[in-house]
Amino acid sequence: MPPAVTPTRVASEPAAYEDAHVHQVYDHIAAHFSSTRYKPWPIIASFLATLRTGWVGFDAGTGNGKYLPLPLERPGELWTIGLDRSRNLLEIARTAGSTVREVVWGDVLGCPWRAEIFDYAISIATIHHLATPERRRLAVKRLLEAVSPEHGRILIYVWAVRQDEHSKRSIPTHDADDTGEAGQDVFVPWVLSDDKKQVFNRYYHMFADGELATLAAAAAEELDLVVGPPRGQSLKGVEIVQDGWERSNHYVELRRWQT
Amino acid sequence: MVRLITHNLLACHVKGCTSNNFPLEFKDVQVVLRESEFNPDFLRGFIPKIEWSALIGAARELGDTSLPDQLPEMLDDDFLKTLHHVLLEIHVEEGIMVCPNCKHNYPISNGIPNMLLAEHEIG
Repeated sequence: MPPAVTPTRVASEPAAYEDAHVHQVYDHIAAHFSSTRYKPWPIIASFLATLRTGWVGFDAGTGNGKYLPLPLERPGELWTIGLDRSRNLLEIARTAGSTVREVVWGDVLGCPWRAEIFDYAISIATIHHLATPERRRLAVKRLLEAVSPEHGRILIYVWAVRQDEHSKRSIPTHDADDTGEAGQDVFVPWVLSDDKKQVFNRYYHMFADGELATLAAAAAEELDLVVGPPRGQSLKGVEIVQDGWERSNHYVELRRWQT
Repeated sequence: MVRLITHNLLACHVKGCTSNNFPLEFKDVQVVLRESEFNPDFLRGFIPKIEWSALIGAARELGDTSLPDQLPEMLDDDFLKTLHHVLLEIHVEEGIMVCPNCKHNYPISNGIPNMLLAEHEIG
């Protein structure tokens, strides 16, 4: 049994809080963390497999870069740039899949790209590390702004309050969380497997059912995008083409459109 | 790594720096050449996105003058191989990228560009 997940509250300025409880932690645990994260999740692999040859995208919160070499059956036909806050994880990601990858040291709340230049973006297990609803919404806006208004495709995964039956995690119930917001802020311990058995607490916002799709829709509306399937004339929008839950994670797939 | 394919996608994102913020200018660079597998289908798909003049300018800053001033109409294998080399085989390992507008410096170290901004610089 891993050490318990414990409820927490974001007690300081959110950027400083993330720096202490997310960025610094990943920089410390990078090598060990990476050694446990090598298998791509099937829905993400099949999403990438559907993308057209010649498309370019980015992975916001790439970690050790395990999605950068995909699709494995069509090597070199997509170009995915890895973006992460952890310099130590990027050092690992830059050689993901035994060849040299493109990685960028940056924040998912920044936008160091030409506007709307990418064909796709993925953000896997990243947005749940942002410490306020506003920052999580801004991260989704950054993805929407970076992809093609005509065909841009986006896949987002975040950790769910609802855990599957095989989950080893014991999750606290909503503990005196009087903010009225959905989801649950927690610390998830990481035990370094060295002699000292050091424990690092990572901050997560665990998403409630429906919270991720609501967040995506709110982000789209702030960008004056219609939410729903393509319709009308001279409209710009985004469709939520998948809204699902698997393996203790919520995910949404978004598709931008204009008519 | 900063290869020219990535350089062609990056722009300055300092708060308020929204025009003339691309392409970033290379300064004090160290370059390494690494062969990579030629994939003409990928290149044909990517070509419509390329800002050609930015690519030509950046390639010249790195000492490569093999590409024509204009994107040719005929995308034959000779041209695609040259493009492949310029986009995908020239790695900037060390150096700085400077915004032509606000002059913000984005350092490149061990092949990784630092595009982080201080909290007050974020737009």
